[in-house]
Amino acid sequence: MNDEALDLVRDVLDHVVVDAEGVPCGMVDDLELEGNAGSTLRVCAVLLGAGAWSDRLPRPVRQLVRAVTGGDTVRIPWSEVAVTSDRIVLASTAAALGLDAPDRRIARWFERWRNRK
Amino acid sequence: MNKALELFLGILTAVGGFVEIGELTFSLNAGRRFGYSLLWVVVLGTVGIVCYCEMAGRVAAVRKQPVFHLIRERAGLTAGLVTLLAANLVNLMTCAAEIGGIALIWQTMSGWPYRPLIVAAFVVLALAMWFLSFEWIERVFGLLGLFMVVFIAAAVHSGPDWGAVAAGLVPGLPQGDAGSGLALYAYYGVALLSSIMLPYETYFYASGAIEDRWTAKDINLNRIIVIVGSGVGSLLAVALISAGVEVLAPRGIEAELPGTAALAAATAFGKWGLLAALVGMLFAFAGAAIETAFSAAYNLGQFFGWPWGKFRPPRQAARFHGAWLVVLLLSTLLILSGLDPVDVVEYSIVFAVVTLPFTYFPLLVIAADRRVMREHANGKLANGLGWLFLAITTLAALAAIPLLVITHGGKG
Repeated sequence: MNDEALDLVRDVLDHVVVDAEGVPCGMVDDLELEGNAGSTLRVCAVLLGAGAWSDRLPRPVRQLVRAVTGGDTVRIPWSEVAVTSDRIVLASTAAALGLDAPDRRIARWFERWRNRK
Repeated sequence: MNKALELFLGILTAVGGFVEIGELTFSLNAGRRFGYSLLWVVVLGTVGIVCYCEMAGRVAAVRKQPVFHLIRERAGLTAGLVTLLAANLVNLMTCAAEIGGIALIWQTMSGWPYRPLIVAAFVVLALAMWFLSFEWIERVFGLLGLFMVVFIAAAVHSGPDWGAVAAGLVPGLPQGDAGSGLALYAYYGVALLSSIMLPYETYFYASGAIEDRWTAKDINLNRIIVIVGSGVGSLLAVALISAGVEVLAPRGIEAELPGTAALAAATAFGKWGLLAALVGMLFAFAGAAIETAFSAAYNLGQFFGWPWGKFRPPRQAARFHGAWLVVLLLSTLLILSGLDPVDVVEYSIVFAVVTLPFTYFPLLVIAADRRVMREHANGKLANGLGWLFLAITTLAALAAIPLLVITHGGKG
């Protein structure tokens, strides 16, 4: 489906991203495109993370979101992505791409809390 | 699980989970002030919640997409983010009110001081949410909430004026406290509608369908659970209005504390009626506190694409589990700050109605979309009701805040 013409806003942007094992690992928060005026636009990558979605918000909100979240962005090359009818499927696992880092950080905190008891 | 048993338990938990502190407060006070003349709002709200919960359950079963995936996908980032913030503010306030309600019920039963009981409620809810599976949470709190049916028995026992009950099913001008004015009547109408169609019910129901791993084969199960569960559940709201008319109004009592409702059951059935009412309210409030805390975490997880769900252990969905724990903690702190649970719930109910159109529109669009739902897309009836209730909730949303100001928060 990736080689065909896609309605990027309808079928890709703001859709859930799942990894190779079917685990949700983010949303398509933005897209990286290449191409010049008059030529065909091509998608290079999908961008995930607060750094990507905050760029789509008005400036004061963007600055607030970045201050709170750190504004990380993960770039996934388009070649690693398959578009199905309702979700975006990655060729790799979330762990291999570092997309599970926030969950691992909080899980470590839970673990420490459990060991302390 | 055997389908018949699943259906039976599903209906019972839907009934037991139908009423929470907001619906209880507004139903009692609506009856006390306006007699049976707002009964038609209960019928209207029940048809509305059946319509949208059925769509949410169907989309979740067919597409495995819960409500906040759809909101993000169809409304986009900015409008979706505003909806997320508003919905979770309402979830937080509702959860806080339910925790306060639990502490007040315990105080009524034990005479112990209120504030330590709020902390105890937090501990009990957190332990239940952490250690019980989703299935057992649904069953324990939904089924024990069924003790609330004592209010239906009490309403019948009180021998209501059935003619007035029937007349109340037809939209009309207020009976009873006629001096209160149309604005107050409209305020109670909007609040009652909102309390029956609370948005967290749709979020939780669709997320629960995914937790329970429903597929397209479960569409009929979804339909029956929603229709029968909400239909019988709405009888509880009718019974509470009747308690307001038959028990509170003649004695000039205002339902300022949730325990006031138990008076109706105690008047009809003595000590055992009182106990059943208190136990039913306790589990109904606890169930609603759990549902709102989970709903807030579901909404965040679905909007940002985190791994979410009670079926995932905390190490796999740490942000989701951390989120509900934080919401529960913030709700506890909010109510510990000294806010009155009934005041909190009144504001949360009014603000909830403002979020309804933003929740329902993306759901209606995707449920009606034949490209994505294929043969499971909305038929003419679902589309007609969907658009009708979208218009009704939009009008209610536009009227809610002005009515809140004009009536001084329903004080008249």
